[in-house]
Amino acid sequence: MNLSDEQVLAMAPDESSRKSGKDLANPAKWVSKGVSEIALWGECQGSGSKPYQTQIDTGNMAFKCSCPSRKFPCKHGLGLLLLYSRQRASFPEETPPSWVSEWLAKRAEKEEKKNTTPTATEKQADTTAQAKRQQARMQKVSDGAAELLRWMKDLVRNGIMDMPEKDPSFFENMIRRMVDAQAPGLAAMMRELADISYFHDGWQSVFITQLTRIYLVIQGYQHISDLPPALQQDIRTLAGFSTSQEELKEQTGITDTWQVLGKQTTEEDRLVVERYWLYGVNTKRPALILQFYVRGQSTITNALTPGSAINAELVFYPSAAPLRALIKQQVTIPANHTFNGYAGWQEVVTAQTAISEVLPVYNDQVYTIADLTPVWHAEQWWLQDSRRQLMPVKKTFQHIWKLLALSGGTPLHMAVTGKETQYEPIGVWHEQEYKIL
Amino acid sequence: MEHWNQLINTALLGTAKKPADSTGMNGPLQQAANTILTGDNTDKEDKFLQLAAVLYNYRLSGTQPVTANLAPTKVCPPETKPYCKPAAVRVLQQVLETDSIQLLQLWLEYCAKANVLLPPAQLPVMLDKGWRNKSLRALIAATGGQRAEWLGHFNPDWNFSRVADTIEDRWQNGATAQRVEALKELRAADPVMARTWLEQSWPKESATVKTELLSVLEQPANPADIPWLESLLTEKSKQVKETATRILKKLPGSSLHEKYWQIIAGAIQLDEYGQVTVALPEITDDSIFQSGIEKLSNDKTITDETHILYQLISLVHPARWEEHFKRNTERVIALFQLQDSLKPFIPALVLAIAWFEDKERALSFMHHSETFYIDIIPMLPPEQQQQFSEKFFDEHPDSIIQYACNNQEEWSLPLCTRIFKYAATQPYTYNQQFMNNHIRQIPVAIAATLDDITPVEAYHTGYWNNIKVHLGRLLQAKSQIQSL
Repeated sequence: MNLSDEQVLAMAPDESSRKSGKDLANPAKWVSKGVSEIALWGECQGSGSKPYQTQIDTGNMAFKCSCPSRKFPCKHGLGLLLLYSRQRASFPEETPPSWVSEWLAKRAEKEEKKNTTPTATEKQADTTAQAKRQQARMQKVSDGAAELLRWMKDLVRNGIMDMPEKDPSFFENMIRRMVDAQAPGLAAMMRELADISYFHDGWQSVFITQLTRIYLVIQGYQHISDLPPALQQDIRTLAGFSTSQEELKEQTGITDTWQVLGKQTTEEDRLVVERYWLYGVNTKRPALILQFYVRGQSTITNALTPGSAINAELVFYPSAAPLRALIKQQVTIPANHTFNGYAGWQEVVTAQTAISEVLPVYNDQVYTIADLTPVWHAEQWWLQDSRRQLMPVKKTFQHIWKLLALSGGTPLHMAVTGKETQYEPIGVWHEQEYKIL
Repeated sequence: MEHWNQLINTALLGTAKKPADSTGMNGPLQQAANTILTGDNTDKEDKFLQLAAVLYNYRLSGTQPVTANLAPTKVCPPETKPYCKPAAVRVLQQVLETDSIQLLQLWLEYCAKANVLLPPAQLPVMLDKGWRNKSLRALIAATGGQRAEWLGHFNPDWNFSRVADTIEDRWQNGATAQRVEALKELRAADPVMARTWLEQSWPKESATVKTELLSVLEQPANPADIPWLESLLTEKSKQVKETATRILKKLPGSSLHEKYWQIIAGAIQLDEYGQVTVALPEITDDSIFQSGIEKLSNDKTITDETHILYQLISLVHPARWEEHFKRNTERVIALFQLQDSLKPFIPALVLAIAWFEDKERALSFMHHSETFYIDIIPMLPPEQQQQFSEKFFDEHPDSIIQYACNNQEEWSLPLCTRIFKYAATQPYTYNQQFMNNHIRQIPVAIAATLDDITPVEAYHTGYWNNIKVHLGRLLQAKSQIQSL
């Protein structure tokens, strides 16, 4: 395990954990510490009389700590990992103490159980009642979608000129209505509509774009039986129907070496959404792992480290253009710095057209593109490919100077996320190594 | 995009006023639009939304990169020096977390000494630090390499780092901080050439740069610079004039110094009986007061005349008294100590010794004075400075700490322990920022005894403990820099 400070800190669930983790990367804070081939552990003196026992399964990058924090990883886990990345020599190599080996044994046992026990659900659900409930929900969503459509048509009829002056309740009422109608997907799309910055130039286009996307989902839902099966799944997901992860895990996934290209975190109403962008070295396909948790109450037990690589079996959610996946099994392996990707922007837009053809409403994608150079043109930053074609960098991109410093005016292979004409670099291949930004 | 903009215009007005239409569309797009717009089963709003959906997907599917004929970006020239080791970068991360500029300086000094460069990924953070802290600029320029200079072309705030190897190159082509350093180095070797360079470039410099460059002539002030410095008193910039005046005040032989001395020599006389009389004549030369001498005393117990004389004595070289009284240093000191009329001016004499950095007389003064004057401390040899600081610490703790902080030497362990024991009683004054600002002087060895230092008042314990934790991090990072 060879992680940089940036990689460790990228795992932090929030800024305060990042800061506390840095404070704890101090040998004076650790009463004992040690490392073995598969684990890292330490006892950190906190405010209580007994030190907190922090342990990390370095094979699967799993954390456990006896502290009461509900964050994951907690500040102790981050501090310990950071300290290890900085002062490896200060960690004696030894056999794990019992509190670590017991945890590791339990994890191994669990893993084994997962692999050997029959995965079919034992419980025989009351299929009739379930079908009835499903029918009722579909009706509710359908009613909600019809109501939302009426609301949208009213908007279109009267014009959107006065949108910036609207009271927040104008959107809030409809968002709540969608939640009541059991269509959380539509509610989330409405939330995006409400969150548009109405005081920035060009809000009108952003507004109509989002309104159109909502319209497409409503229309798709109302004519769902006419659609191809894969697209039906996309529409259901966009409306807010969830896919059973248990059922997905029963399917055979795609096993590959997956590079963890980057992580993007957003938060809304205390719900934290972590997007991990992955790329299969052999399958040459991207994947998106989504993790959700309420701020400060993460229950995730395995962390993905941006810039690292995992050997994993991924099961993709059914879609006309599969991107989101879940990890069925994973093992952390040494970083893999292979580059595979598009030759330039023309190939990227062609790939997007192919997605657009089968999935009219899609979100940001991840692309690995060869030889991009950051250039300043017409008062903004662009990424220029080897054919001298340009795409704008998102105005909110924060690491443009680091990107420029790494580039020095020379082209770099790059991983970017985005769609249409807005892209954000998340990492670059620099001196034969993949580096996160 | 034109069709899309047209659609937005319709949306702004509303379909009640302006229904969606297919104006300007052609080919398959027009066909699709016509199918939508002529449909019987849909209302105007549905037609608008359907057309929007088609145009949205048309736009999405037809996105094209921009082709612009840009002038090729200037590529950064290759570096000639190696980058610092990954271990040094890890230490840098820890240094940055402490927010201590002094620690950062120590780290950069290591890089400059090892002749290695900052890796590109670290440059934006470091250049930003340099932009905010002038004291780091010369070091960042020395370790930033070609990449830092190249980045400076894109960000004017960072335009202080140029690659220059020789002193002359740095003087001719460097940023201000680099030029100041080059001038300092040349002045140490060839003061006449240094002034010549300065005189040659003077008309081209801005007032701010002039002030920074001129300050180089202060350490140490050189009598050969007097004529040129006096010619600067007619400069337009107030800053430049003040700097020139300050340096001239440090130069015996300058007109200002001689004017001060003439007033003192007229006011303080030793008669044939060995008695000293003090009588300040009326000062008619306004330039004396314009040079910063205050006319009025702030203290009721001190007359205006005494106040003026006190200031003048503190700005006149102490050697003048030996010529004036025709006595050697020891006897001059004795005269000041014995004569009632001169006693009030002893602190002014001490200030003069410090102002002119007269180390020889500082030692004589310490040996012949029963009173301890802390202003003398910086003039003493380093080992004596620490020794006297420890000895008189309890009498003047704050002043001694201040002098210890101004001295660039690392504190001895006993002095550091004394300082921290006192700091623990005043944790709001000697706080984390204080530790950040003086980590250069704090010896790493103090880490072992930090736990023995505790505040007297119980309510200071929490605050002091936080300072101690922070100090522990600073010392750890400092020790790692030293071990690189």
